[in-house]
Amino acid sequence: MSADIQQSNPILEIKNLTVDFGGVRAVNDVTLSLQPGEFVGLIGPNGAGKTTVFNLITNAIQATSGEILLNGKSILGKSPDQICRLGISRTFQNIRLFPQMTAYENVELGLHSTPHYSLAEAFVRTPRASRVEKQTHQKALELLEVVNLREFARERASSLPYGLQRRLEMARAMATSPQMLLLDEPAAGMNEDECKDLIRLIRQIHESMKYTMIMIEHHMNVVMDLCRDSRIYVLSLGSLLTVGTPTEIQTNPQVIKAYLGERKNG
Amino acid sequence: MGYLEAIIILSGINIIAVMGVSILTGYTGLFTIGHAGFMALGGYMSAVMVKEFHLPVILALIIGGFFAGLCSFIIGYPSFRSQLRGDYFAIATLGFSEAIRLVLNNTKTIGPLNIGGAFGYMNIPSATTVPMVVGVLIVGLYLAHMFVTSQFGKNCIAVSQDETAAQMMGVNLLRTKLIALFVSAFYAGVAGGLMGFYFAYLSPSFFTITQSSNLLAAVVFGGIQSLIGPVITAFVLIAIPQLLLVFSEWRLVIYGFLFVIVMIFRPQGLLGYVEMNMNFARVLWNKLLRRKTVDVIEG
Repeated sequence: MSADIQQSNPILEIKNLTVDFGGVRAVNDVTLSLQPGEFVGLIGPNGAGKTTVFNLITNAIQATSGEILLNGKSILGKSPDQICRLGISRTFQNIRLFPQMTAYENVELGLHSTPHYSLAEAFVRTPRASRVEKQTHQKALELLEVVNLREFARERASSLPYGLQRRLEMARAMATSPQMLLLDEPAAGMNEDECKDLIRLIRQIHESMKYTMIMIEHHMNVVMDLCRDSRIYVLSLGSLLTVGTPTEIQTNPQVIKAYLGERKNG
Repeated sequence: MGYLEAIIILSGINIIAVMGVSILTGYTGLFTIGHAGFMALGGYMSAVMVKEFHLPVILALIIGGFFAGLCSFIIGYPSFRSQLRGDYFAIATLGFSEAIRLVLNNTKTIGPLNIGGAFGYMNIPSATTVPMVVGVLIVGLYLAHMFVTSQFGKNCIAVSQDETAAQMMGVNLLRTKLIALFVSAFYAGVAGGLMGFYFAYLSPSFFTITQSSNLLAAVVFGGIQSLIGPVITAFVLIAIPQLLLVFSEWRLVIYGFLFVIVMIFRPQGLLGYVEMNMNFARVLWNKLLRRKTVDVIEG
């Protein structure tokens, strides 16, 4: 397995990534690499630095040292919007939709965050600009369809139920036509049934859109199910603890120790 | 008649400036208490264009607007670069507009041009008429509507709602804010130009913080993310003080009282988030139709 990984070019490579917040080392020497189209999980106890890794990839915070390569090119020091345009999109742990905009408008924003016509055309609305608007409209509705939110298109994002807001965030992230999708706890706060729907949805998105995906998740059954053909990275206290298939992770004593602590008399 | 005309022209001019502030504050979420500065820049520029270079008034207004828009980059670029927002950006705009006012106050001549300094710029050709103000107003409102419903405008709204999320979704914050500021300053500049051509005189004392805060008040009062709200309130805020003239000083108290009431009961402004559209008419029409069909079925 490791042989053919080295043969093809990784889409994302993180090398010795480290970040300090004051005196606290939040992420310590993390190295990982992803092949195009892979779906990997990122797990770890609370405070392990999982979301910080996402924030570092999208440059919401700056790394202290280390390197992040997208398709072999460093994206360190690029602004979050540039990184988005290079093809990395994400969702947020604590949902960050545009609350007063409708579901449709939220998705649409991802499509036109770089306007597809000039400022002058915005004022005069030339036929070309109207055509662009129409295409964007169509595309946004299609994306809503993918996450089964078509009927909520005209609802305000803040008025949607929690689970739908998560799905809407995914549609918005997909709207930026990324190569890579970073999902930050998509199943947070969901019950068993909702988790099953979500697993189906994420798998369908992954298969149809061919994104490379990293998912942070605490629901172990969601992670184990979605990553069953690939691997899971385990972070603990900022460092990479281990990498492996779901079964390997489940039986790894180190992982169990990180999650549950150590038996005193054991 | 002259009195009514004056009210219409003055409120028209204010409405045009308020539309600019609405684009920046209402739609992009950047508070400004310095738009009088952009009005001054546009006003003086258009006056110079007509008086000294004998250009047609409309062309001069556009040049004035562009000039104000370009000058807005002087304050916009550094403050957006250093990510000033909220109160801090408002203070920066205030400082900028006060600086402009003081420079104009102390500049008697620019080369061969005599702009009068603190005495004001005199003998500007008088050109502003009611149809002209109304015409500019309607065109301005149409263009503003086009802007805020365009992809640029929608990016502005996203920035106002969640800057971080907008940036993560690929919105270039610096560029989006600069565009909003430019358009907004353009409107203020045109309004300033109309003001000069109405009074046939421009004085730095027109463009104080009081003028700026009146513009901001109309937007906050009228509602954020709405064009029609601020437009209506801008008119009312000019008209009410005139109607309340009999109460002399008490009108300011009433004015303030109204603000407190609105802020308590509708913090998003009177028509906040109400877009200028015909949706309500469509809903009403549908209701009427449905009632008719129901009648038919029951009959």
